[in-house]
Amino acid sequence: MSPRVRIALLALAALVLLPGAAEVIAGLPPFGSTIAQYGERINAITPEARHVANMVSAINFDLRGLDTLGEEFMLLAAITGTVVLLRGRRGEGNTGHAMRRPGRAVIPRSEAVILACRIAGPLTALFGLYVVLHATVTPGGGFQGGVILASGTLLIYLGEGYAGWRQAIHSHWLDALEGGGALLFALCGLVPMLTGAAFMQNILPLGIFRDLFSGGLMLVENLGVALAVTGGFTQLFLEFMEETRAADEAEEPGEESA
Amino acid sequence: MSVLPYAVAAWLFGIGLYGIATSRNFIHLVGCLGVCQSATYVLLLGLGYRWGGIAPIFYDHPPGTPAVDPVMQALVLTDIVVGATLTALLLVLTIQAHKRGGSLDPEKLRPMRAGGTSGRGQGASRVSDREQSTS
Repeated sequence: MSPRVRIALLALAALVLLPGAAEVIAGLPPFGSTIAQYGERINAITPEARHVANMVSAINFDLRGLDTLGEEFMLLAAITGTVVLLRGRRGEGNTGHAMRRPGRAVIPRSEAVILACRIAGPLTALFGLYVVLHATVTPGGGFQGGVILASGTLLIYLGEGYAGWRQAIHSHWLDALEGGGALLFALCGLVPMLTGAAFMQNILPLGIFRDLFSGGLMLVENLGVALAVTGGFTQLFLEFMEETRAADEAEEPGEESA
Repeated sequence: MSVLPYAVAAWLFGIGLYGIATSRNFIHLVGCLGVCQSATYVLLLGLGYRWGGIAPIFYDHPPGTPAVDPVMQALVLTDIVVGATLTALLLVLTIQAHKRGGSLDPEKLRPMRAGGTSGRGQGASRVSDREQSTS
């Protein structure tokens, strides 16, 4: 299909769909005037009912915890698919160490870069832990903190080089982090059922409002999410980085299909 | 003025869609999909906003202060996480398409052979694909 035909089709589809879209947009509530009743009720009830200050975490880990469980496994599936596709043609065996492309020069880093990364890396990791731990009181949570933790590991790569990074980061640990985090989240749903409560019912003591350890079961679920996100995103970096090291396939005529 | 956020969302979605339809490069296409997706962020946050509302975190402000809709914020968080991982997955598929077809152009994407001559014949069929697309 030529680009001109594609644009014509797109314009045709837009013409057909535009009246419906205009109708929907006209029916939306005016911007900034009011919010949905559901959110309003959550804001009013949850601080007393769950002893947490951060409503977004309360929704993610308690009120709509089941949806987050689905999201967690969606994340797991996407990362598993990425890793399987990338690792499939490289083989399982050679992921334990850093591969280097023969003929590629190793460019030494300046000492300033190494120093900056050695200072910023641990600080980033500390900030990530802070964001993870304060999920129920201040803006933060497992998703955001996990991504910050994963970028902390990237600073190791920037400072120490690829070989040093691979010595510090083990692929199997990342698998365990990612799968273990998802398992922890699933267990948070299943364990309350052993006590006769509902799926993912918050059976742990809720703690004191505005305290670091408030929210009960939410803290455990948050930890599971943080582990899974840290492991998953670091795994993505690692696999993409390994991909740039893979030898050119043109030199291997009889390669296995992925 | 009150329709501005919705107009921005519609505009972002529209240019993203236009980019996808006219894309000549898979990486560009994945980027355009990201633009489409950012339209959903703007739409959701716009739907949940209220003039003068605080963030839905009652640490500095006592509970009961008018706040924006926390459900929309949680949805955007979900949206971003899923979007990031799916972008990674799509980029991997791009790598695979480039390895098999030797091109990043969606126009030159050819159906994969269902292993008719076993996996070993893959290299040969790729070469013939390339010849077909240039002719």
